[in-house]
Amino acid sequence: MQTGTQARKYRLQGAGLDLALPYLMLAPGLMVVLGVLVYPLWDGLRASTRAYRYGSPVADVGFKNYVQLWSDAQFLNSLWVTVKFVALSVSIEAVLGFALALFCLHEFRGIRLLRTVLIIPMVITPVVVAILFRLIYASDAGMLTALSEAMGGGGVQILGNPLNAFIGLVVLDVWEWTPLMFLILLAGLQSLPHEPFEAARVDGAGPWRVFADLTFPMMRPVLAVAVVLRTIDAFGTFDQVFVLTRGGPGEATRLISIYGYDTAFKFQQTGYAAALFVTIGLVVLALAFSAIRLLRRVDAS
Amino acid sequence: MSTRLARILTTVFVLAVVLLPIYWLVSTSLKSNREITQEGTLYPHVPTLDNYVRLFTEKQFGSYLTNSVVVTFFSVAIALVFGAMGAYAIARFRLPFAAERKIGLFLLTLRIIPPVVILIPVYLLMLSLGLLDSWLGLIATYTAFNVTFCVWMMESFFREIPVDLEEAAMVDGDSRFGAFRRITLPLAAPGLAATAIFAVLVTFNEFLFALALTATPRAMTMPRGTATLIGRIDTDWASMAAAGVIGALPIVFFALLVQRHLVRGLTMGAVK
Repeated sequence: MQTGTQARKYRLQGAGLDLALPYLMLAPGLMVVLGVLVYPLWDGLRASTRAYRYGSPVADVGFKNYVQLWSDAQFLNSLWVTVKFVALSVSIEAVLGFALALFCLHEFRGIRLLRTVLIIPMVITPVVVAILFRLIYASDAGMLTALSEAMGGGGVQILGNPLNAFIGLVVLDVWEWTPLMFLILLAGLQSLPHEPFEAARVDGAGPWRVFADLTFPMMRPVLAVAVVLRTIDAFGTFDQVFVLTRGGPGEATRLISIYGYDTAFKFQQTGYAAALFVTIGLVVLALAFSAIRLLRRVDAS
Repeated sequence: MSTRLARILTTVFVLAVVLLPIYWLVSTSLKSNREITQEGTLYPHVPTLDNYVRLFTEKQFGSYLTNSVVVTFFSVAIALVFGAMGAYAIARFRLPFAAERKIGLFLLTLRIIPPVVILIPVYLLMLSLGLLDSWLGLIATYTAFNVTFCVWMMESFFREIPVDLEEAAMVDGDSRFGAFRRITLPLAAPGLAATAIFAVLVTFNEFLFALALTATPRAMTMPRGTATLIGRIDTDWASMAAAGVIGALPIVFFALLVQRHLVRGLTMGAVK
Protein backbone atom coordinates (compact mmCIF):
# COMPACT_ATOMS: atom_id res chain seq x y z
CA MET A 1 0.00 0.00 0.00
CA GLN A 2 2.74 2.41 1.08
CA THR A 3 4.94 1.62 -1.91
CA GLY A 4 1.89 1.81 -4.16
CA THR A 5 1.24 5.46 -3.29
CA GLN A 6 4.95 6.22 -3.50
CA ALA A 7 5.18 4.75 -6.99
CA ARG A 8 2.13 6.66 -8.09
CA LYS A 9 3.63 9.90 -6.79
CA TYR A 10 6.83 9.34 -8.74
CA ARG A 11 4.86 8.58 -11.86
CA LEU A 12 2.97 11.84 -11.37
CA GLN A 13 6.15 13.87 -11.42
CA GLY A 14 7.51 12.08 -14.45
CA ALA A 15 6.04 13.98 -17.33
CA GLY A 16 7.97 16.83 -19.00
CA LEU A 17 7.49 20.27 -17.51
CA ASP A 18 6.13 18.71 -14.33
CA LEU A 19 9.72 17.96 -13.28
CA ALA A 20 10.42 21.67 -12.86
CA LEU A 21 7.03 22.40 -11.34
CA PRO A 22 7.95 22.07 -7.63
CA TYR A 23 10.80 24.54 -8.06
CA LEU A 24 8.65 26.96 -10.04
CA MET A 25 6.00 26.82 -7.31
CA LEU A 26 8.49 27.34 -4.48
CA ALA A 27 10.46 30.12 -6.17
CA PRO A 28 8.27 33.24 -5.78
CA GLY A 29 7.67 32.77 -2.05
CA LEU A 30 11.29 31.87 -1.37
CA MET A 31 12.51 34.91 -3.29
CA VAL A 32 10.46 37.30 -1.16
CA VAL A 33 11.57 35.54 2.02
CA LEU A 34 15.24 35.56 0.97
CA GLY A 35 15.13 39.25 0.06
CA VAL A 36 13.15 40.66 2.97
CA LEU A 37 13.88 38.20 5.82
CA VAL A 38 17.05 36.20 5.20
CA TYR A 39 19.19 38.97 3.75
CA PRO A 40 18.30 41.33 6.65
CA LEU A 41 19.06 38.54 9.13
CA TRP A 42 22.52 38.13 7.64
CA ASP A 43 22.94 41.90 7.43
CA GLY A 44 21.93 42.16 11.09
CA LEU A 45 24.58 39.60 12.05
CA ARG A 46 27.15 41.65 10.13
CA ALA A 47 25.98 44.92 11.70
CA SER A 48 26.26 43.39 15.18
CA THR A 49 30.06 43.12 14.78
CA ARG A 50 30.52 46.75 13.79
CA ALA A 51 30.55 50.17 15.36
CA TYR A 52 28.35 52.82 13.77
CA ARG A 53 28.40 56.58 13.74
CA TYR A 54 25.42 58.55 12.36
CA GLY A 55 23.99 55.39 10.83
CA SER A 56 27.02 54.28 8.83
CA PRO A 57 29.60 51.67 9.86
CA VAL A 58 32.98 53.08 10.93
CA ALA A 59 34.87 50.09 12.36
CA ASP A 60 34.83 46.32 12.76
CA VAL A 61 34.76 45.46 16.44
CA GLY A 62 34.32 41.68 16.34
CA PHE A 63 32.38 40.36 19.34
CA LYS A 64 32.90 43.49 21.44
CA ASN A 65 29.21 44.47 21.20
CA TYR A 66 28.17 41.04 22.49
CA VAL A 67 30.64 41.12 25.36
CA GLN A 68 29.60 44.64 26.32
CA LEU A 69 25.94 43.55 26.65
CA TRP A 70 26.70 41.47 29.73
CA SER A 71 28.20 44.35 31.64
CA ASP A 72 25.44 46.78 30.62
CA ALA A 73 23.28 47.27 33.71
CA GLN A 74 20.39 48.61 31.62
CA PHE A 75 20.42 45.55 29.35
CA LEU A 76 20.55 43.17 32.31
CA ASN A 77 17.70 45.02 33.96
CA SER A 78 15.55 44.90 30.81
CA LEU A 79 16.26 41.17 30.52
CA TRP A 80 15.18 40.65 34.13
CA VAL A 81 12.02 42.74 33.65
CA THR A 82 11.19 40.72 30.52
CA VAL A 83 11.68 37.37 32.26
CA LYS A 84 9.52 38.50 35.20
CA PHE A 85 6.84 39.82 32.86
CA VAL A 86 6.73 36.67 30.69
CA ALA A 87 6.79 34.20 33.60
CA LEU A 88 4.10 36.02 35.55
CA SER A 89 1.76 36.78 32.62
CA VAL A 90 1.96 33.38 30.96
CA SER A 91 1.44 31.39 34.15
CA ILE A 92 -1.56 33.48 35.20
CA GLU A 93 -3.00 33.13 31.68
CA ALA A 94 -2.48 29.35 31.72
CA VAL A 95 -4.24 28.90 35.08
CA LEU A 96 -7.15 31.22 34.26
CA GLY A 97 -7.50 29.86 30.72
CA PHE A 98 -7.53 26.26 31.94
CA ALA A 99 -10.07 27.00 34.66
CA LEU A 100 -12.33 28.81 32.21
CA ALA A 101 -12.01 26.03 29.62
CA LEU A 102 -12.98 23.36 32.19
CA PHE A 103 -15.90 25.57 33.18
CA CYS A 104 -17.10 25.90 29.58
CA LEU A 105 -16.67 22.24 28.67
CA HIS A 106 -20.32 21.45 29.35
CA GLU A 107 -22.67 23.27 27.02
CA PHE A 108 -24.97 25.74 28.68
CA ARG A 109 -26.94 28.80 27.71
CA GLY A 110 -24.79 31.86 27.29
CA ILE A 111 -21.67 29.96 26.31
CA ARG A 112 -21.80 31.15 22.70
CA LEU A 113 -22.06 34.75 23.82
CA LEU A 114 -19.12 34.15 26.14
CA ARG A 115 -16.99 32.69 23.37
CA THR A 116 -17.84 35.50 20.98
CA VAL A 117 -17.01 38.18 23.52
CA LEU A 118 -13.74 36.46 24.45
CA ILE A 119 -12.52 36.83 20.87
CA ILE A 120 -12.51 40.62 21.17
CA PRO A 121 -9.46 41.18 23.43
CA MET A 122 -7.08 39.19 21.25
CA VAL A 123 -8.14 40.68 17.92
CA ILE A 124 -8.15 44.33 19.02
CA THR A 125 -5.08 46.14 17.74
CA PRO A 126 -2.43 45.91 20.52
CA VAL A 127 -1.89 49.66 20.31
CA VAL A 128 -5.58 50.16 21.09
CA VAL A 129 -5.40 47.67 23.96
CA ALA A 130 -2.72 49.90 25.44
CA ILE A 131 -4.98 52.95 24.97
CA LEU A 132 -7.79 51.05 26.72
CA PHE A 133 -5.58 50.50 29.73
CA ARG A 134 -4.18 54.01 29.75
CA LEU A 135 -7.74 55.22 29.99
CA ILE A 136 -8.31 52.86 32.92
CA TYR A 137 -5.12 53.68 34.80
CA ALA A 138 -4.79 57.44 34.14
CA SER A 139 -4.71 59.34 37.42
CA ASP A 140 -6.91 62.20 36.13
CA ALA A 141 -9.20 60.63 33.52
CA GLY A 142 -9.00 56.94 34.41
CA MET A 143 -11.81 54.53 35.15
CA LEU A 144 -10.18 53.49 38.44
CA THR A 145 -9.97 57.09 39.60
CA ALA A 146 -13.55 57.80 38.49
CA LEU A 147 -14.82 54.71 40.32
CA SER A 148 -12.82 55.53 43.41
CA GLU A 149 -14.12 59.10 43.44
CA ALA A 150 -17.70 57.92 42.89
CA MET A 151 -17.29 55.83 46.03
CA GLY A 152 -15.81 58.74 47.94
CA GLY A 153 -12.11 57.84 47.62
CA GLY A 154 -9.24 59.79 46.10
CA GLY A 155 -7.26 59.51 42.85
CA VAL A 156 -5.49 56.26 41.99
CA GLN A 157 -1.80 56.17 40.97
CA ILE A 158 -0.89 53.30 38.65
CA LEU A 159 1.47 54.36 35.91
CA GLY A 160 3.46 56.75 38.11
CA ASN A 161 4.54 54.06 40.53
CA PRO A 162 7.13 51.44 39.43
CA LEU A 163 5.53 48.38 41.03
CA ASN A 164 1.97 49.36 40.12
CA ALA A 165 2.99 50.10 36.53
CA PHE A 166 4.57 46.66 36.21
CA ILE A 167 1.50 44.96 37.67
CA GLY A 168 -0.65 47.10 35.40
CA LEU A 169 1.26 45.80 32.39
CA VAL A 170 0.82 42.18 33.51
CA VAL A 171 -2.92 42.80 33.97
CA LEU A 172 -3.08 44.17 30.42
CA ASP A 173 -1.37 41.09 29.02
CA VAL A 174 -3.62 38.76 31.02
CA TRP A 175 -6.70 40.60 29.76
CA GLU A 176 -5.50 40.42 26.18
CA TRP A 177 -4.22 36.84 25.98
CA THR A 178 -6.13 34.66 28.48
CA PRO A 179 -8.82 34.20 25.78
CA LEU A 180 -6.29 32.59 23.41
CA MET A 181 -5.16 30.21 26.15
CA PHE A 182 -8.83 29.46 26.83
CA LEU A 183 -9.65 28.70 23.18
CA ILE A 184 -6.65 26.42 22.68
CA LEU A 185 -7.27 24.53 25.92
CA LEU A 186 -11.00 24.23 25.24
CA ALA A 187 -10.27 22.73 21.80
CA GLY A 188 -7.86 20.35 23.53
CA LEU A 189 -10.40 19.32 26.17
CA GLN A 190 -13.05 18.71 23.52
CA SER A 191 -10.71 16.40 21.61
CA LEU A 192 -10.04 14.10 24.60
CA PRO A 193 -11.51 10.56 24.36
CA HIS A 194 -14.68 9.90 26.41
CA GLU A 195 -14.04 6.33 27.57
CA PRO A 196 -11.60 6.96 30.47
CA PHE A 197 -13.99 9.54 31.93
CA GLU A 198 -16.95 7.17 31.68
CA ALA A 199 -14.91 4.47 33.41
CA ALA A 200 -13.88 6.87 36.17
CA ARG A 201 -17.51 7.85 36.72
CA VAL A 202 -18.56 4.19 36.96
CA ASP A 203 -15.79 3.70 39.54
CA GLY A 204 -17.19 6.64 41.49
CA ALA A 205 -14.12 8.93 41.27
CA GLY A 206 -14.67 12.48 42.53
CA PRO A 207 -14.11 15.53 40.34
CA TRP A 208 -10.71 16.33 41.86
CA ARG A 209 -9.43 12.75 41.27
CA VAL A 210 -10.69 12.87 37.68
CA PHE A 211 -8.84 16.12 37.11
CA ALA A 212 -5.57 15.05 38.75
CA ASP A 213 -5.43 11.51 37.33
CA LEU A 214 -7.09 11.93 33.93
CA THR A 215 -7.72 15.44 32.64
CA PHE A 216 -4.44 17.05 33.60
CA PRO A 217 -2.09 14.27 32.42
CA MET A 218 -3.98 13.95 29.13
CA MET A 219 -3.96 17.71 28.60
CA ARG A 220 -0.26 18.14 29.33
CA PRO A 221 0.92 18.17 25.67
CA VAL A 222 -1.69 20.76 24.61
CA LEU A 223 -1.00 22.84 27.70
CA ALA A 224 2.72 22.72 26.95
CA VAL A 225 2.24 23.84 23.35
CA ALA A 226 -0.03 26.70 24.43
CA VAL A 227 2.46 27.85 27.07
CA VAL A 228 5.40 27.67 24.64
CA LEU A 229 3.50 29.62 21.96
CA ARG A 230 2.54 32.34 24.43
CA THR A 231 6.03 32.48 25.94
CA ILE A 232 7.70 33.03 22.56
CA ASP A 233 5.11 35.65 21.71
CA ALA A 234 5.32 37.43 25.06
CA PHE A 235 9.11 37.67 24.76
CA GLY A 236 8.69 40.00 21.80
CA THR A 237 6.02 42.22 23.41
CA PHE A 238 6.55 45.79 22.25
CA ASP A 239 3.45 47.70 21.08
CA GLN A 240 1.56 47.62 24.36
CA VAL A 241 4.48 48.86 26.45
CA PHE A 242 5.47 51.48 23.90
CA VAL A 243 2.03 53.10 24.17
CA LEU A 244 1.22 52.35 27.83
CA THR A 245 4.40 53.38 29.66
CA ARG A 246 7.21 53.72 27.09
CA GLY A 247 9.20 51.57 29.56
CA GLY A 248 8.75 53.81 32.57
CA PRO A 249 8.54 54.97 35.22
CA GLY A 250 12.32 54.77 35.30
CA GLU A 251 13.07 51.32 33.92
CA ALA A 252 10.24 49.51 35.71
CA THR A 253 8.49 48.26 32.56
CA ARG A 254 11.34 48.58 30.07
CA LEU A 255 11.17 45.22 28.29
CA ILE A 256 14.13 44.10 26.23
CA SER A 257 12.38 44.99 22.95
CA ILE A 258 11.83 48.57 24.13
CA TYR A 259 15.45 48.90 25.26
CA GLY A 260 16.62 47.55 21.88
CA TYR A 261 14.38 49.96 19.99
CA ASP A 262 15.62 52.93 22.00
CA THR A 263 19.25 51.86 21.57
CA ALA A 264 18.78 51.71 17.81
CA PHE A 265 16.53 54.64 17.05
CA LYS A 266 16.91 57.03 19.99
CA PHE A 267 20.56 56.57 20.92
CA GLN A 268 21.57 55.62 17.33
CA GLN A 269 23.88 52.81 18.50
CA THR A 270 23.08 50.64 15.49
CA GLY A 271 25.76 47.97 15.94
CA TYR A 272 25.15 47.55 19.64
CA ALA A 273 21.38 47.30 19.11
CA ALA A 274 21.90 44.72 16.35
CA ALA A 275 23.97 42.60 18.76
CA LEU A 276 21.19 42.92 21.33
CA PHE A 277 18.54 41.77 18.85
CA VAL A 278 20.65 38.84 17.64
CA THR A 279 20.98 37.79 21.29
CA ILE A 280 17.19 37.94 21.78
CA GLY A 281 16.71 35.87 18.62
CA LEU A 282 19.13 33.22 19.84
CA VAL A 283 17.49 33.06 23.26
CA VAL A 284 14.02 32.61 21.74
CA LEU A 285 15.23 29.97 19.26
CA ALA A 286 17.00 28.04 22.01
CA LEU A 287 13.82 28.23 24.08
CA ALA A 288 11.67 27.03 21.19
CA PHE A 289 13.91 24.13 20.23
CA SER A 290 14.37 22.87 23.78
CA ALA A 291 10.59 23.05 24.18
CA ILE A 292 10.07 21.03 21.00
CA ARG A 293 12.59 18.43 22.17
CA LEU A 294 10.91 18.24 25.56
CA LEU A 295 7.52 17.76 23.92
CA ARG A 296 8.84 14.96 21.71
CA ARG A 297 10.14 13.17 24.77
CA VAL A 298 6.79 13.53 26.53
CA ASP A 299 5.06 12.18 23.42
CA ALA A 300 7.40 9.21 23.17
CA SER A 301 7.02 8.08 26.79
CA MET B 1 -29.25 24.43 41.14
CA SER B 2 -26.09 25.74 42.77
CA THR B 3 -23.92 24.84 39.74
CA ARG B 4 -26.34 26.83 37.60
CA LEU B 5 -25.96 29.86 39.82
CA ALA B 6 -22.17 29.47 39.74
CA ARG B 7 -22.27 29.33 35.94
CA ILE B 8 -24.37 32.47 35.68
CA LEU B 9 -22.13 34.35 38.13
CA THR B 10 -18.93 33.29 36.37
CA THR B 11 -20.34 34.18 32.95
CA VAL B 12 -21.43 37.61 34.14
CA PHE B 13 -18.06 38.20 35.81
CA VAL B 14 -16.06 37.25 32.69
CA LEU B 15 -18.29 39.37 30.45
CA ALA B 16 -17.84 42.32 32.80
CA VAL B 17 -14.06 42.00 32.89
CA VAL B 18 -13.83 41.87 29.10
CA LEU B 19 -16.43 44.50 28.30
CA LEU B 20 -15.89 47.16 31.01
CA PRO B 21 -12.59 48.48 29.55
CA ILE B 22 -14.26 48.63 26.12
CA TYR B 23 -17.28 50.43 27.57
CA TRP B 24 -14.95 52.97 29.17
CA LEU B 25 -13.13 53.58 25.87
CA VAL B 26 -16.36 54.18 23.95
CA SER B 27 -17.84 56.27 26.74
CA THR B 28 -14.71 58.44 26.99
CA SER B 29 -14.70 58.96 23.23
CA LEU B 30 -18.18 60.53 23.49
CA LYS B 31 -17.23 63.04 26.21
CA SER B 32 -15.52 66.40 25.95
CA ASN B 33 -12.06 66.77 27.47
CA ARG B 34 -13.57 69.08 30.11
CA GLU B 35 -16.04 66.44 31.19
CA ILE B 36 -13.31 63.78 31.27
CA THR B 37 -10.78 65.55 33.46
CA GLN B 38 -12.88 67.94 35.54
CA GLU B 39 -16.07 66.06 36.25
CA GLY B 40 -14.94 62.42 36.06
CA THR B 41 -18.39 61.19 35.05
CA LEU B 42 -19.11 57.47 34.75
CA TYR B 43 -21.07 57.88 31.51
CA PRO B 44 -21.19 60.77 29.00
CA HIS B 45 -23.61 63.39 30.40
CA VAL B 46 -23.31 65.55 27.29
CA PRO B 47 -22.54 63.07 24.48
CA THR B 48 -20.72 64.53 21.48
CA LEU B 49 -19.28 63.20 18.23
CA ASP B 50 -16.80 66.11 17.96
CA ASN B 51 -13.85 63.87 18.81
CA TYR B 52 -14.56 61.64 15.83
CA VAL B 53 -15.07 64.55 13.46
CA ARG B 54 -11.74 66.05 14.57
CA LEU B 55 -9.88 62.81 13.77
CA PHE B 56 -10.89 63.01 10.13
CA THR B 57 -10.79 66.79 9.65
CA GLU B 58 -7.65 67.66 11.64
CA LYS B 59 -5.73 64.42 12.06
CA GLN B 60 -5.75 62.60 8.68
CA PHE B 61 -7.40 59.43 9.91
CA GLY B 62 -8.82 59.00 6.42
CA SER B 63 -5.29 58.53 5.04
CA TYR B 64 -4.32 56.11 7.82
CA LEU B 65 -7.35 53.97 7.07
CA THR B 66 -6.65 53.98 3.31
CA ASN B 67 -3.00 53.08 3.89
CA SER B 68 -3.93 50.23 6.22
CA VAL B 69 -6.47 48.77 3.81
CA VAL B 70 -4.16 48.99 0.78
CA VAL B 71 -1.11 47.59 2.58
CA THR B 72 -3.07 44.77 4.24
CA PHE B 73 -4.90 43.81 1.05
CA PHE B 74 -1.83 43.55 -1.17
CA SER B 75 0.51 41.90 1.32
CA VAL B 76 -2.06 39.26 2.24
CA ALA B 77 -3.15 38.61 -1.37
CA ILE B 78 0.41 38.22 -2.68
CA ALA B 79 1.44 36.07 0.29
CA LEU B 80 -1.60 33.82 -0.20
CA VAL B 81 -0.76 33.14 -3.85
CA PHE B 82 2.97 32.59 -3.24
CA GLY B 83 2.33 30.75 0.02
CA ALA B 84 -0.29 28.37 -1.39
CA MET B 85 2.01 27.40 -4.27
CA GLY B 86 4.96 26.87 -1.96
CA ALA B 87 2.89 24.90 0.54
CA TYR B 88 1.54 22.67 -2.21
CA ALA B 89 5.07 21.94 -3.45
CA ILE B 90 6.20 21.06 0.07
CA ALA B 91 3.16 18.91 0.78
CA ARG B 92 3.10 16.95 -2.47
CA PHE B 93 6.56 16.65 -4.04
CA ARG B 94 9.58 14.65 -2.92
CA LEU B 95 12.69 16.55 -4.00
CA PRO B 96 16.31 15.37 -3.95
CA PHE B 97 17.98 15.55 -0.50
CA ALA B 98 14.51 15.99 1.04
CA ALA B 99 14.88 19.66 0.09
CA GLU B 100 11.17 20.35 0.44
CA ARG B 101 11.18 19.28 4.08
CA LYS B 102 14.26 21.33 4.81
CA ILE B 103 12.69 24.40 3.23
CA GLY B 104 9.55 23.87 5.31
CA LEU B 105 11.57 23.59 8.51
CA PHE B 106 13.62 26.64 7.53
CA LEU B 107 10.48 28.75 7.01
CA LEU B 108 9.12 27.57 10.37
CA THR B 109 12.37 28.55 12.08
CA LEU B 110 12.16 32.01 10.49
CA ARG B 111 8.64 32.28 11.88
CA ILE B 112 9.75 31.55 15.45
CA ILE B 113 12.35 34.33 15.49
CA PRO B 114 10.69 37.48 16.89
CA PRO B 115 10.30 40.08 14.10
CA VAL B 116 12.02 42.70 16.26
CA VAL B 117 15.31 40.87 15.56
CA ILE B 118 15.42 42.05 11.93
CA LEU B 119 13.95 45.50 12.58
CA ILE B 120 17.23 47.38 12.14
CA PRO B 121 18.45 45.63 8.96
CA VAL B 122 15.01 45.89 7.34
CA TYR B 123 15.03 49.60 8.17
CA LEU B 124 18.51 49.94 6.62
CA LEU B 125 17.39 47.93 3.57
CA MET B 126 14.34 50.13 2.96
CA LEU B 127 16.48 53.21 3.55
CA SER B 128 18.97 52.15 0.88
CA LEU B 129 16.16 51.26 -1.56
CA GLY B 130 14.41 54.57 -0.93
CA LEU B 131 11.31 52.72 0.26
CA LEU B 132 10.97 54.33 3.69
CA ASP B 133 7.58 55.94 4.26
CA SER B 134 6.00 54.20 1.26
CA TRP B 135 3.30 51.61 0.64
CA LEU B 136 5.74 49.41 -1.24
CA GLY B 137 8.20 49.15 1.67
CA LEU B 138 5.46 48.05 4.06
CA ILE B 139 3.87 45.68 1.53
CA ALA B 140 7.23 43.96 0.85
CA THR B 141 7.93 43.53 4.56
CA TYR B 142 4.48 42.24 5.48
CA THR B 143 4.34 39.94 2.43
CA ALA B 144 7.53 38.22 3.57
CA PHE B 145 6.19 37.68 7.10
CA ASN B 146 2.88 36.43 5.72
CA VAL B 147 4.52 34.00 3.27
CA THR B 148 6.25 32.07 6.07
CA PHE B 149 2.95 31.86 7.90
CA CYS B 150 0.84 30.93 4.84
CA VAL B 151 3.21 28.14 3.77
CA TRP B 152 3.22 26.66 7.25
CA MET B 153 -0.56 26.76 7.62
CA MET B 154 -1.57 25.81 4.06
CA GLU B 155 0.76 22.82 3.99
CA SER B 156 -1.30 20.93 6.56
CA PHE B 157 -4.52 21.75 4.70
CA PHE B 158 -3.11 20.37 1.43
CA ARG B 159 -1.94 17.20 3.17
CA GLU B 160 -5.52 16.46 4.20
CA ILE B 161 -6.72 16.45 0.58
CA PRO B 162 -6.36 12.99 -1.02
CA VAL B 163 -3.95 12.89 -3.95
CA ASP B 164 -6.29 10.52 -5.87
CA LEU B 165 -8.50 13.43 -6.91
CA GLU B 166 -5.61 15.14 -8.67
CA GLU B 167 -4.62 11.87 -10.31
CA ALA B 168 -8.14 11.46 -11.67
CA ALA B 169 -7.98 14.95 -13.17
CA MET B 170 -4.61 14.20 -14.73
CA VAL B 171 -5.83 10.95 -16.20
CA ASP B 172 -8.49 13.10 -17.82
CA GLY B 173 -5.73 15.15 -19.44
CA ASP B 174 -5.09 17.96 -16.94
CA SER B 175 -1.51 19.09 -16.29
CA ARG B 176 -0.22 18.86 -12.73
CA PHE B 177 -0.51 22.62 -12.24
CA GLY B 178 -3.96 22.50 -13.82
CA ALA B 179 -5.00 19.81 -11.35
CA PHE B 180 -3.67 21.95 -8.50
CA ARG B 181 -5.57 25.00 -9.71
CA ARG B 182 -8.86 23.35 -10.63
CA ILE B 183 -9.11 20.51 -8.09
CA THR B 184 -6.92 20.99 -5.03
CA LEU B 185 -7.16 24.73 -4.56
CA PRO B 186 -10.99 24.87 -4.47
CA LEU B 187 -11.01 21.93 -2.05
CA ALA B 188 -8.60 23.81 0.20
CA ALA B 189 -10.77 26.94 0.12
CA PRO B 190 -11.81 26.77 3.80
CA GLY B 191 -8.15 26.47 4.76
CA LEU B 192 -7.25 29.36 2.48
CA ALA B 193 -9.96 31.44 4.12
CA ALA B 194 -8.75 30.66 7.64
CA THR B 195 -5.19 31.51 6.61
CA ALA B 196 -6.22 34.75 4.94
CA ILE B 197 -8.28 35.85 7.93
CA PHE B 198 -5.45 35.28 10.33
CA ALA B 199 -2.98 37.07 8.06
CA VAL B 200 -5.35 40.05 7.74
CA LEU B 201 -5.63 40.33 11.53
CA VAL B 202 -1.90 40.23 12.14
CA THR B 203 -1.06 42.58 9.27
CA PHE B 204 -3.72 45.18 10.04
CA ASN B 205 -2.63 45.28 13.69
CA GLU B 206 1.14 45.38 13.07
CA PHE B 207 2.82 48.32 14.77
CA LEU B 208 6.58 47.84 15.24
CA PHE B 209 7.61 47.90 11.58
CA ALA B 210 5.06 50.58 10.75
CA LEU B 211 6.66 52.65 13.51
CA ALA B 212 10.17 52.27 12.11
CA LEU B 213 9.36 52.37 8.39
CA THR B 214 6.81 55.19 8.14
CA ALA B 215 6.92 58.79 9.27
CA THR B 216 4.12 60.76 7.57
CA PRO B 217 0.42 60.30 6.76
CA ARG B 218 1.56 59.30 3.27
CA ALA B 219 2.18 55.74 4.47
CA MET B 220 1.30 55.60 8.19
CA THR B 221 -1.12 52.78 9.02
CA MET B 222 -3.93 52.91 11.57
CA PRO B 223 -1.98 51.62 14.58
CA ARG B 224 0.94 53.89 13.70
CA GLY B 225 -1.31 56.92 13.24
CA THR B 226 -3.17 56.19 16.46
CA ALA B 227 0.10 56.01 18.38
CA THR B 228 1.23 59.42 17.07
CA LEU B 229 -1.71 60.98 18.90
CA ILE B 230 -0.17 59.88 22.15
CA GLY B 231 2.52 62.12 23.48
CA ARG B 232 4.41 61.40 26.61
CA ILE B 233 2.38 63.75 28.80
CA ASP B 234 -0.76 63.69 26.74
CA THR B 235 -3.99 65.15 27.99
CA ASP B 236 -6.12 64.95 24.86
CA TRP B 237 -7.90 61.90 26.24
CA ALA B 238 -11.00 62.46 24.13
CA SER B 239 -9.14 62.25 20.80
CA MET B 240 -7.14 59.30 22.06
CA ALA B 241 -10.30 57.40 22.98
CA ALA B 242 -11.98 58.18 19.66
CA ALA B 243 -8.82 57.11 17.83
CA GLY B 244 -8.88 53.86 19.79
CA VAL B 245 -12.47 53.18 18.74
CA ILE B 246 -11.81 54.00 15.07
CA GLY B 247 -8.54 52.03 15.15
CA ALA B 248 -10.14 48.88 16.57
CA LEU B 249 -13.57 48.99 14.95
CA PRO B 250 -12.75 47.63 11.46
CA ILE B 251 -10.74 44.69 12.74
CA VAL B 252 -13.13 43.73 15.55
CA PHE B 253 -16.04 43.90 13.13
CA PHE B 254 -14.11 41.75 10.67
CA ALA B 255 -13.16 39.23 13.36
CA LEU B 256 -16.72 38.82 14.62
CA LEU B 257 -17.92 38.40 11.05
CA VAL B 258 -15.57 35.49 10.37
CA GLN B 259 -15.55 34.15 13.91
CA ARG B 260 -15.84 30.46 13.13
CA HIS B 261 -12.88 30.32 10.72
CA LEU B 262 -10.87 32.46 13.08
CA VAL B 263 -11.18 30.16 16.08
CA ARG B 264 -10.18 27.21 13.93
CA GLY B 265 -7.11 29.01 12.65
CA LEU B 266 -6.08 30.17 16.11
CA THR B 267 -6.32 26.76 17.73
CA MET B 268 -5.36 24.55 14.81
CA GLY B 269 -1.61 24.66 15.31
CA ALA B 270 -1.73 23.73 18.96
CA VAL B 271 -4.18 20.84 19.03
CA LYS B 272 -2.74 18.23 16.73
